[in-house]
Amino acid sequence: MMTLWWAQIVAVIRLEMKKTFFAKRGLWVYLLAAAPVLIWAGHSINMMMIRDHQRDVATEHPLATETLESIQHGMSRADVEEKLGPPYSRRMVRTRRQDRAWLNYTDGESNYTFMFEDGELRGISKRQIYKCSIPQDSLIFATVFQFFYLRLAIFFGCVGVFMNLFRGELIDKSLHYYLLAPMRREVLLVGKYLAGLITTVVIFTTSTALQLWTMWLHFDRAAIDEFLRGPGWHQVAAYLGVTALACLGYGSVFLAAGLLFRNPIIPAATVLLWESANLFLPAALKKISVIFYLQSLCPVVAPPDKEMAAPLLLLVSSAEPTPPFLAITGLVVLTIAVLIAASFRARKLEINYGTE
Amino acid sequence: MSLPPPIEESLIVFENVSRFYGEVLGVNRVTLSIPPGITSLVGPNGSGKTTLMNLMTGLVRPTRGAIKILGIPPDDPERLFRLLGYSTQFDSFPKGLTGFQFVYSFLRLFGTTHSECEALAWKSIERVNLVEAANRKVAGYSKGMRQRIKLAQSIAHDPRVLVLDEPLNGLDPLVRAETISLFRELAAEGRHVIVSSHILHEVDMISDQVILLSNGYVVAEGKIQGVRSEISDHPMQVLIRCNRPGALASKVFEQDSVVEARIHADGGGLLVKTRDPDRFYRLLNHIAMNGIEIESVAPADDNVNSVYEYLIGAEESTK
Repeated sequence: MMTLWWAQIVAVIRLEMKKTFFAKRGLWVYLLAAAPVLIWAGHSINMMMIRDHQRDVATEHPLATETLESIQHGMSRADVEEKLGPPYSRRMVRTRRQDRAWLNYTDGESNYTFMFEDGELRGISKRQIYKCSIPQDSLIFATVFQFFYLRLAIFFGCVGVFMNLFRGELIDKSLHYYLLAPMRREVLLVGKYLAGLITTVVIFTTSTALQLWTMWLHFDRAAIDEFLRGPGWHQVAAYLGVTALACLGYGSVFLAAGLLFRNPIIPAATVLLWESANLFLPAALKKISVIFYLQSLCPVVAPPDKEMAAPLLLLVSSAEPTPPFLAITGLVVLTIAVLIAASFRARKLEINYGTE
Repeated sequence: MSLPPPIEESLIVFENVSRFYGEVLGVNRVTLSIPPGITSLVGPNGSGKTTLMNLMTGLVRPTRGAIKILGIPPDDPERLFRLLGYSTQFDSFPKGLTGFQFVYSFLRLFGTTHSECEALAWKSIERVNLVEAANRKVAGYSKGMRQRIKLAQSIAHDPRVLVLDEPLNGLDPLVRAETISLFRELAAEGRHVIVSSHILHEVDMISDQVILLSNGYVVAEGKIQGVRSEISDHPMQVLIRCNRPGALASKVFEQDSVVEARIHADGGGLLVKTRDPDRFYRLLNHIAMNGIEIESVAPADDNVNSVYEYLIGAEESTK
């Protein structure tokens, strides 16, 4: 019997994969997955441009820190230019009363701006050149991953894929072909769920991997190697695993919702509200959500929102993060429980397209 | 020597079956026992034909009563659909599949191997004469081709019970004749072929028995001859979609039995009222072979409904 069920599950997956991967109505799922990749790619390109510009300036206008530090208030512009040479950029403003000039220099570590009024040095500003570090970027990545990618991109991606597995076919009036096959409804449910899971895991883990790759694109090879020798590979594996588990958990919830509700917006909004309120829920209730287990498994703790209003901060409750083994078990148990509940609905499912 | 199967294992049995959609009646207190052969469910739109078929196949469940298909209840899909095939009235298909892929993919759900499925798929496609179009996308098929590929899908696993909801709708006269002959072939092999239609004339030609439905009730069942004589005086209206409706009109008026013919408002078809559907369909077959391209033949059913009103009125008056 198991052999037959497995053959049927594989047949369902084959039929579903084409639809879930290449459906026109699923195009926005790809856009959701691609959005953070584009953001990180933009960040990396920007950082590379800044670095290249600074390198060019430092090469063309080489100056020692000591030379720049020796410049004193009250010096004339001619003296400064004689001592430091021409600046890499300058700005002049001439009014009836006053002439103002700003000369910019760099030692490769900091940018120095000298401000002159009527040819006399009146102000010196020194700003350290912004340089990213992998730990810094990792922290930003953790925030984007937990607050945008998990809670919105994967969440809504799963809404799009899993809700359509049954609901989409009810709308297209083609679900009856499955129900007229010599197959248990539970087997159909598992087949469809696995098809959705494969699709979302492929799309979103690929996106996670690309996000990490594009984030590191602007770092030196040596810095990346050093990071990977340290916590790097563990973080990569953890992020990919959390992505897959998010698809597993949210997938089951939205597959069940697609069987129970005609309008996907209502369950999606309800689950989103519940998951978003997780931060403020009592510790016991926190555990009845997908995001709680996922956050416990994230390798970097996202910093709390500094701009959160003080009264809201008071409402934030903390539950001890669950150990990885328990978090994974909790998610799997939650998924199985939801799928069992969905299978009861699937058994009673009737074809009445007129009401869809 | 093995014993013959019990009688209930060769029958489709409805025992006091009712189905309500909320307040709306689908079918009520249906008690039937359908033997092998071609059985037609006849009735106007909304009479409960499709509900009865959906009940038979487990797509909807009865509010009351019990159903057994050759001894198997419809809520046991693993056993039921190995011996039952259903071609529904829904003109919709999974997206992106060719005719062959459509038949093949759903055969794989039976757990059979690739080569077996491939052989069965081609065999059934051949049976409905669609081999040449089998590798084209179903989305590009004509209405008639879609009907035939649905039929191929429903017979591909060689079922003992075949349930067909309006299977002749949209077929041109030649394909209609071929399809009817296929039904006869299948029935002659000892299968149950349950066909729904709202064209009494059509079922007259193909049925061994008929079940007449109205407003969710079975109002008559049995052999068709008795029913047929009652309707012979009532002209039947048919819409023929063709390339030259004017030429077709002049041809059909050569028949005495045609009482009216008018070109459809969109100019792409002809509405014909006839008192002798038998002769009229024979004439259409002849015309189809003589230059006028007939795309489809379908009942334009105000009149069929009136026939049923007449029949049902007669039924009620005898109560």
